[in-house]
Amino acid sequence: MTGALASRALAALFWGTVAVIYLPIGIMAVFSFSAARYQILPIPEYTTEWYGRVFTDGQYTAGFVNSVLLAGSVSLVATLIGFACAYSLVNARFPGKAAFTFLILAPLAVPLLLVGIALRIWTTMLGLQPSLPLAGVGQVLYVLPLAVLNLRNRIAQLPKSHEEAAWALGASRLRAIVDVILPACRASLIATFILCFTFAFDEFVIAYFLTNFSVTLPIKIWTTLVTGFDPTINALGTMVFIFSLSLGVTAQWLLMRKVR
Amino acid sequence: MSRQPVANLWQGILPALVLMAGFFLLPILYTLGLSLTTEGATGLSLDNYHRFLAETTLTDALLRSLILAISVVVIATVLAWPLAWYLAFCVTERRRVLMLFILVAPFWTSFTIRAFSWQMVLADSGIVGTGLRWVVGPDTAFGFLYSLPASIFGLGLFGIMLVTLMVYSSMVTIDRRLIEANAVLGGTGWTAFREVVLPLALPGWIIGAALTFIVAVGDYAVPTLLGGGLRPVLAQVMLSVLKGTYDLPMAATLASVLVLVILLCVAPLLLLVRGTRLQS
Repeated sequence: MTGALASRALAALFWGTVAVIYLPIGIMAVFSFSAARYQILPIPEYTTEWYGRVFTDGQYTAGFVNSVLLAGSVSLVATLIGFACAYSLVNARFPGKAAFTFLILAPLAVPLLLVGIALRIWTTMLGLQPSLPLAGVGQVLYVLPLAVLNLRNRIAQLPKSHEEAAWALGASRLRAIVDVILPACRASLIATFILCFTFAFDEFVIAYFLTNFSVTLPIKIWTTLVTGFDPTINALGTMVFIFSLSLGVTAQWLLMRKVR
Repeated sequence: MSRQPVANLWQGILPALVLMAGFFLLPILYTLGLSLTTEGATGLSLDNYHRFLAETTLTDALLRSLILAISVVVIATVLAWPLAWYLAFCVTERRRVLMLFILVAPFWTSFTIRAFSWQMVLADSGIVGTGLRWVVGPDTAFGFLYSLPASIFGLGLFGIMLVTLMVYSSMVTIDRRLIEANAVLGGTGWTAFREVVLPLALPGWIIGAALTFIVAVGDYAVPTLLGGGLRPVLAQVMLSVLKGTYDLPMAATLASVLVLVILLCVAPLLLLVRGTRLQS
C-alpha cells in the first residue's frame, strides 16, 4: 500500500534519523581513543590513556560505587514495593482503586525537576539534611511506575488456577504468593530490577537536588562538564553508554522472552 | 471453587501508598501552598506571583521554556508519522523489533552524556563547525551551540523517538484487513492513512505529544549544556534560586508556574484523547 518510491524515501528518513541520533555517540567513542586533549582531525595518535585515567581518578571510581549502591537499593526497594502493589492491583478490590492507580503512575507525567524540587522543599521544612538516602527515596518515586506496570502485566497473565490450587492444598495466601506467584514472575522481577537500575543509575536531576556532598557518577560527570573540559569524560561517557545499553538489552530480552 | 484464605489482599498497596503520599503528593501540595505565602506575613497572598511577573529575567525564562517545549513537540509530532508508518507497514515483523530497538536504545543512557556528546559535535571547534569552515571559508562562525535552537535540536531527537514509539504502538494494533478493504475499494496509500490509520493512531500521537511537552518544558540538563547559561529556561532559573539565593518561596512559585503551564497545555490534549476515544 506504500509505493516503492515512497517506501524508499521513508527508509531514508528512518536511517537518517538513526544516523543523527548515533553520530555524537560515535564521535565521542572515536575521540576517547585520541591522544590529543582536544578534538583534532586527523587524530594524531591513538591511546587508551583516558580509559586508564577513569580508573585511577578516585573521584570517578567513588562516584561509580556510590551510583551502584544507590541504584541497587533504589531498584530493590522499587521492585519489592512494586510487586506488592501490582499483586493487589490485579487481585484485590478496594475503594479508590482508580485514583490510586492514577497516583502511582503520576510521576511519569511530572518532570523529574518538580519531583526533586518539591521533595527538597518538603524535606527542608521537615528539617532533614540532603543526603544519598534522601535522593534514593526520590528515585524510587521515579522508577516505581515502571516496576508496577511491568509486574502488573505479568501477574495479570498468570492463570488464577495455580494459586487456587495452592489454596486448596492448604497454603495461606502469603504462602501461595511466595511459592507460586514469585517463581512464576522471576524473569519479570529480574528484568524490572535491571530496568529500574538502568534508570536510577543514570538519574541526575533528583540526585543533584537532594544531595550535598555524596556525589553519584552522573553528578560527578555534570560538575566536570560545567567547570571545564576533561578528555577523560569521552572515555567515561563511552563506558557508561555501553554499560547502560547492555543493562537495557538484558532487561528487554528477559521481558520479551517471557512472552513466548 | 476453593476458599480464599484471605478475602481481599489489598494491603499490598500500603507501602506504595505511604511512599507516594508522603514523598510525592504532600511535597507537591506543600510546594504549591508555599508559593502562596510570604515570609514574615500570615495568610495567603499572590505576592510571589507578582514578584515573578515583575521580574523580566523570570518571565523571559518562562517564555523560552514555552518556545522550547512547543517547538520540540511540533518537530516530534510531525516527524513521528512517517517514521511510525515506515516501522508499522513497510518492514517485516522480524526486522521491526530490531529497528525499534536501534531507535530506542540510545535513550536508555543518561541525558547528560548524550547532551555532552552533542556539545562536542555542535561546538564551533566540533566536527560540524570544522566542516562548515572547510566548505564555506575559514571565517565562518557556526555559532549554533549555546542557543535556544541547539536545545530544541537536542530535545527534539528525544521527542521524535518518544512520539514515534507511541504512534507506532497504536498503528501496529490496527487490523490490517481495514487497510486491505480500503485498497479493495479503490483507496490509495493516502486515503488509507487519512481514513483508517490517522483516526486510530491519534490517541497514541496525542499522548506522545503530551509526554514530550512535559519532558521538554521541565528539562534542565539539555538547556544548560546546549542552550548555555546566558539565556536560561525556567528549569535553570529554578535551580539557581534553589541552590543559589535559597529563596524557597520563590523556588516554590517557579515550580508552581511549571505545574500550571503543564496543566494548561496537557489537560486539553488529554481531553482530546477522551474525545477521540468516545467517537470511535
